Amino acid sequence: MSKHGIICEVTGVWTQYGSTVIHRDLNLAIRAGEVTAMVGGSGSGKTTLLRHIIGLTTPSRGEIRLFGVNLAELDRDAARQARNRFGMLFQQGALFSALTVYENIAFPLRELRQFDEEAIHLLVMHKLALVELEPKHAWLLPAQLSGGMVKRVALARALALEPELLVLDEPTAGLDPDRSDKFVQLIKSVRKQLGLTVIFVTHDLDTLVGMTDRVAVLADQHIIASCSLPELANVDHPFAQNFFKGVSERLERTDKWKIEPTH
Amino acid sequence: MTDAEFRVEDLPDGTKRVVLTGAWSLRGVQNNFADLRDHLSAFFGNPFTHWDLSGVEQLDSAAAVMLWTGWGKHVDQRMLLRPEHTVLFDMLATLPSAHSFASGQGNLMASLHMLWDRYLEFFSHLAGFVNLVGSLTLEFFYILTHPRKIPFKEITANFYKGGVQALPVTALVGFMIGIAMAYLMAIQLRKFGADIFIVNIIGLAGIRELGPILMAIIVAGRSGSAMTAQIGVMRVTEEIDALSTMGISRTLRLIMPKVLGLTLVAPLLVFWTSAWAIFGGMLAAKMQLGIGIEFFLDRLPQVVVPVNLTLAVFKGLTFGVLVTLIACHFGLRVKPNTESLSSSTTSSVVAAITTVILVDAVFAIVTRGIGQ
Repeated sequence: MSKHGIICEVTGVWTQYGSTVIHRDLNLAIRAGEVTAMVGGSGSGKTTLLRHIIGLTTPSRGEIRLFGVNLAELDRDAARQARNRFGMLFQQGALFSALTVYENIAFPLRELRQFDEEAIHLLVMHKLALVELEPKHAWLLPAQLSGGMVKRVALARALALEPELLVLDEPTAGLDPDRSDKFVQLIKSVRKQLGLTVIFVTHDLDTLVGMTDRVAVLADQHIIASCSLPELANVDHPFAQNFFKGVSERLERTDKWKIEPTH
Repeated sequence: MTDAEFRVEDLPDGTKRVVLTGAWSLRGVQNNFADLRDHLSAFFGNPFTHWDLSGVEQLDSAAAVMLWTGWGKHVDQRMLLRPEHTVLFDMLATLPSAHSFASGQGNLMASLHMLWDRYLEFFSHLAGFVNLVGSLTLEFFYILTHPRKIPFKEITANFYKGGVQALPVTALVGFMIGIAMAYLMAIQLRKFGADIFIVNIIGLAGIRELGPILMAIIVAGRSGSAMTAQIGVMRVTEEIDALSTMGISRTLRLIMPKVLGLTLVAPLLVFWTSAWAIFGGMLAAKMQLGIGIEFFLDRLPQVVVPVNLTLAVFKGLTFGVLVTLIACHFGLRVKPNTESLSSSTTSSVVAAITTVILVDAVFAIVTRGIGQ
């Protein structure tokens, strides 16, 4: 797969629960190497779309191809291999509460059955260092962690298998502005180190301005725009306009906005 | 992206050089590092082998760790690396090794420590239980003086859930045990020609023992486990804290209705279960010994004095209180993780049944002179 290819393609997706239509003929393409944010009002189906993309749920109609394949059509082993190519960070972290931080990160590595304990230990320590946690945190249980640490550990677990795609659901929800800013910096640095493609859903404009290359706006049951943040100004839709107002204030204030070369 | 591969070249000085090519990364779906490590192990063991990584497309941490542990955790002049590889290996060198996490305690010390922890845990259970009983008593006096605060709705809900819904299962179990007991006894009694005493045995056993014990075991398994899990989940999801912030006593609203509801319904369940056990025994006696149902019912009040019923009520009340208190106690000790929830629920049921049987034995000894 080429670096600038399409890593995920959503075509003609409909999602219906009873008579409620959530997605109506939705199309979206996500390019490899880019950071794509999905935004939209509450209940617009952002998280649902994210769950479709990673194959947790299947749409009522339409097709989703991740890494060029439809996860639902693969047999067990192939689907598992494809799933190892992306890492997911759930909103609440979804750490296994009965396992320590160490065991949580080691879990996907052990399941792979390719490494001995010594290598697993080094890899877990490497991932902990990557998300800027200390080795002593490895023996804590998830219940003993603060909200920011839960997110970091969950990120370390998502990165354990060296995925090429990182999927984040509300990565900074529930963090205070300072922690949230640090977490955004962390994701940016990890992304640069590992050359990741990132898809994320967020409500937080600071997070959005902090790390996005491209924004996909979900409104009226489909994607009304998929473009860079400054280009949002040209989208003629009340939600996009309103949204851009908030974004542009931040763009001017922080001057953080620079289009980083993807490679 | 090509898969991870290597080839071996012979150098002029007689040593070998391993040249790695392709993407040494977990992203390569076909890469299996366990196999690669096995294939490379011969070269890892040889201190004169040279390694050339300059042709590697991509080296991720997993591959780097595999190579690094193979090389004996160091990099020297034999390895030809790219600059980004050097950064990665330098990073690995700074990580703490597994040995630095050794527990540092001897086996004896560790097991002594564990024993001591168990010992302390017993007292913490005892303290928690006393605390629970104490706060329940205080709340009880409180509602005596404030009758309007009695949580009638919750009490009746527990009455229904713990009592009414348990009717079918207690009936079935009582009936079956009654039949089993009667068949067993019938054969023994016939040997002595004492057929008629089947009425005494079924009557006394059904009312004094089977009813209360079967009720307690089924209630502990049905309602006790449900209560532990419910209170435990409410703790995990902070619902109990939410109650407290609204100024509502958790003991009054959550624990007391369960204790009162189940305790009051327990004697009724005991009678229900006893009745079915006697009914089962009666049927078996008719089939095995030819003792008529009318005769059985006629003789039953003569051989089983009414004080046995009072005893059954007391047993029912005691067992009901014990099962609910133990269930609530373990529910309040659930820690916010799945492991703790499951182990607390198990402990709750096991502790409740054990305690009930212990107390039953005490009852049997203390009341041996009554009603027989």
